Amino acid sequence: MKAYVSYIIVSIITIVLSLLFLFSSTNKKGLYTTNLFYMDTYINIKIYDVDEKTKDKAFDNIDKIYKKYHELSDRYQKYDNVKNIYYINNIDINTEIEIEKELYDLIDYSVSFCNQSNGLLNIAMGNVIDVWKSYRDGEKEGIPTIDELKDKNINLEDLVLLKNNKILKKSNISLDLGAFAKGYATEEVGKYLESIDIDKYIINAGGNVKVGNHYNNKKYKIGLEKPTKESDIYKVVNGNNIAVTTSGSYERFYEYNGKSYHHIIDPNTLFPPQYMLSVSVITNDSTYADALDTMLFLMSTLDGLDYVNKLDDVYAIWYTNDGKVIKSEGFKKYE
Amino acid sequence: MNKKDTILIVIVLIISIAIILGYKLFEKDGIKKALVYYENDLVLTIDLTENIEKTYYVEGYNGKVKILAGNGKVSVDEENSPLHLCSKQGYISKSYETIVCLPNKVIIKIDNIDELDAIVK
Repeated sequence: MKAYVSYIIVSIITIVLSLLFLFSSTNKKGLYTTNLFYMDTYINIKIYDVDEKTKDKAFDNIDKIYKKYHELSDRYQKYDNVKNIYYINNIDINTEIEIEKELYDLIDYSVSFCNQSNGLLNIAMGNVIDVWKSYRDGEKEGIPTIDELKDKNINLEDLVLLKNNKILKKSNISLDLGAFAKGYATEEVGKYLESIDIDKYIINAGGNVKVGNHYNNKKYKIGLEKPTKESDIYKVVNGNNIAVTTSGSYERFYEYNGKSYHHIIDPNTLFPPQYMLSVSVITNDSTYADALDTMLFLMSTLDGLDYVNKLDDVYAIWYTNDGKVIKSEGFKKYE
Repeated sequence: MNKKDTILIVIVLIISIAIILGYKLFEKDGIKKALVYYENDLVLTIDLTENIEKTYYVEGYNGKVKILAGNGKVSVDEENSPLHLCSKQGYISKSYETIVCLPNKVIIKIDNIDELDAIVK
C-alpha cells in the first residue's frame, strides 16, 4: 500500500514538472513571423504564443486585409472587380456610384479628419500630387511653378458622401489617401488579431508600427530612425498596446538646385513643408497616429507642440531641421 | 515510503529541476555590451558576447586606460592614477555594476539591451 502511494506521488511530481517544462518551451516556440509587400512598403508581422494552425489562418487573413486596402487605396491602377480610388478618380462627375463598405468607411474617416485639421490635410490633393510626381520621377525638370499648381482642382467639398456606401463627385477632383490608408489597414490588422485572441504582436509597416502586449511581460522597444542619411536610431520608445508612426522629409524626395522636395504637399502653399525633418506620434490608434503625424508635419514644431499637449493619450517627438529633438508633455513615460 | 522510494523521488526531482534550470540558463538574453564613457561621452562600445578576451585602449585624463573585455565581463587592467582603484576592482558583468576611474574620468557600464523589436522609418 505504502509503495502504491509513493508511486502515485512520484508520478504526479514527474507529470507536473514535465508539464511545467513543456509549457515553458511551447511559450518560446509560439513566435511566427511573415513578410508582406503592399502600399510600397515592406510589412513585417510577428505574433507570439500562437499554435501553427491559428498562425496559418491569421497570416492568410492579414495578407487579405493589406491586399484589400492596397487595392482599394491605389490611385494609379485598376484591379478586376475592384472599385478603388483609381476608379473613383476616373468616374464622370455628378454620377452616383456605390463602393465597397471598407473603402467608404476609409474615405469617411479621412474626410472627417481633414475637416477637423484646419485645412492642413486634404485627400483631394491628387491633381497637385500628380504634378509634383511628374517632376520627382524626372518626366519634367526642375520644380513646378505656382501657377501650374494653382490651376489644379483640390476642392474636397466636391466629394459628396451619400448614404448606403454611395458617393458622388461634383467636379474633377482626384483623391489620394496617402496619409490614411496604411495606418488604417494596420489598425484593421491589429483589430483582427485581437478579435481572434492574439494579443501579443508587432506589426511593422515601415513608418507605421503597432504593437500589442509584450511576449515576455516587458515592453516593446521601438527605435525611431534618424531622418538623416546615416540611418541611426535617435530614440527608443518603450511601450505596449501603442501605435508609433513617423512622417519625414527623407522618404520619396528629389533634389533640385541643392534643395530637396519630398512627397508631402501643403494644401495651402501647394509646396512641400520645411518645418522639420521628421515627427513621430505615439498613441493607441494607428489610423489616428498616421493621420496626425502627417498633419503635424504640416505645422511648425511650436504649433504642433501646442496642439499635441492639449490632447489626451497622444504624444509626439520632433526631429528639427538643425538636429534638435523636441518632445511633447508626458513623452517621458515611453523613454 | 521506504528508502528506495525516497531516493527515487529525490532523483526525479533533481533531474527535473536540472532540466528546467539548464533550459533557463541557455535562454538567450539579448546583447550584452560594455559602454565606455569619457567625461559622459560614449567613446567605445564593446560586444561582450564574444568568447575571447580582447584588449582595448581608451584615452583617459592621465593617459591610456587598458581594458580587457570578453566572455560577458569587462575590467580595467592598467591605468595611471594615484590609488589604482579601478584596476583593483576587477571584472564586472552585471548590468547594475560600473567601473569608475575618477582620476581618468572614465566610466564603464554594462548594458544588457535586447535587440529592438521594431524600427519606425
